[in-house]
Amino acid sequence: MTVHVENNQEIGCFIIVATVVAQLDIILVEAKNLSLAAKNARVVAIRAGEAALGFKSITNFIDEFSTKTIQTTQEINQHSNLLFKLALEQLRASQFEHHINRAYSLNDKSHIEIKRIKNDATQIFRESLTRFNSEMQALTLQFEEIRQQMRAAEYIAVTSRVEASQAGEYCDSLESVSDYIASAALRIKSAISINLSTLSQLKRIKVSG
Amino acid sequence: MKSSVIYEGKHHKWVVFGRDESKPEKIIDTNQYLICTDTESMLLDPGGIELFSPMLTGILGYTELSKLTTLFASHQDPDIISSLGLWDKTIPKAKLYAPWLWEGFIRHFGMENIEFMAVKDEGGEIKLGSNNFRLIPAHYLHSSGNFNVYDPEAKILMSGDLGASLEKGDVPMFVEDFGEHVAHMEYFHRRWMPSNRAKMNWIARVKELDIKIMAPQHGRIFKDDDVQEFLAWFEKLDVGCA
Repeated sequence: MTVHVENNQEIGCFIIVATVVAQLDIILVEAKNLSLAAKNARVVAIRAGEAALGFKSITNFIDEFSTKTIQTTQEINQHSNLLFKLALEQLRASQFEHHINRAYSLNDKSHIEIKRIKNDATQIFRESLTRFNSEMQALTLQFEEIRQQMRAAEYIAVTSRVEASQAGEYCDSLESVSDYIASAALRIKSAISINLSTLSQLKRIKVSG
Repeated sequence: MKSSVIYEGKHHKWVVFGRDESKPEKIIDTNQYLICTDTESMLLDPGGIELFSPMLTGILGYTELSKLTTLFASHQDPDIISSLGLWDKTIPKAKLYAPWLWEGFIRHFGMENIEFMAVKDEGGEIKLGSNNFRLIPAHYLHSSGNFNVYDPEAKILMSGDLGASLEKGDVPMFVEDFGEHVAHMEYFHRRWMPSNRAKMNWIARVKELDIKIMAPQHGRIFKDDDVQEFLAWFEKLDVGCA
């Protein structure tokens, strides 16, 4: 997904944070559905008894990683307020630097106090940029963590399919659970890819800005 | 940004800033006032964000930034105080005196460092160096929470939007012919001032003050007899008409 940020990198930060936060909903809904699918599969596996013993233990894994994904996504969601605050802080720091530079150019004598504030303004802008980048880095790592969880989910989907094939009359319903895990993991991975690509766009803005 | 000293006394001076040549065309021209004492300075109605840079440059010709301890906002409008977010970073230890009514609104302009000094409806005082300045209520003229600043030593009333005029071009700082000036004030006062009752209250309050200079936030400044001429004219004007 390409976010059009035009020439204003600070407004670009807002749009990028908003785009990332919007994708979080998709991840959260899929992770919640995964958790529900794990609970349903456990009931079916109990009903299947001896024939689905292997599948039953797999449902614990599904439940575990879906819970972890929900938790990480909720953490990111709570984090979004801070990200917006930092984006605003950066916008204000940038405006401050812009107006101080203008005052500097208006003053022929390059007044010593304006020089000092000009240095302060640059420092404030750099600090706000560092804080924003550091939070974005942390966000990237959180998305990488979910991506790892989804790789595990894909592996479990394959294993569960083997176990489902041995569950006799319950084979079809357990196989459909395996299919669901695989497709949900794919959808979450796709949402994460969009977010990571959006975040990398932010890095490019910073480098060129 | 042009500036001129409109009063210089033993303890302090008043400077007006306005007629900024670099301001974007569609932005209304505003007057900003700086009061400098030996130890402290105060900026009255600091202006919009677009004026911050020329104002900062202009102010440094009269005072050191470390002495600029106080800001005053007569009300909440953007042409009065939308530069606050930038002043907040420039003079973080300063205080902002403004109507209590507008605190939650004014903070939208960005105020993380400057201390908000809420002015009660009945008014109050600001002490600057050895001088005291009175805050005179001017509610509903035009803003519902609004104050003028009165300097009893210099006999100056900073009247905010009262006495404002809209004239194009590089107009003089002072009213030269009151009769001719009326044409530039009439629409503004009829349209922006919503209440005849509030108008009469304010006139009664201001008539008790000894005023030599009435300094509005837009347009020319009134001196001596023109101040009384303005009050008499305003008293007769029916306001609150669209």
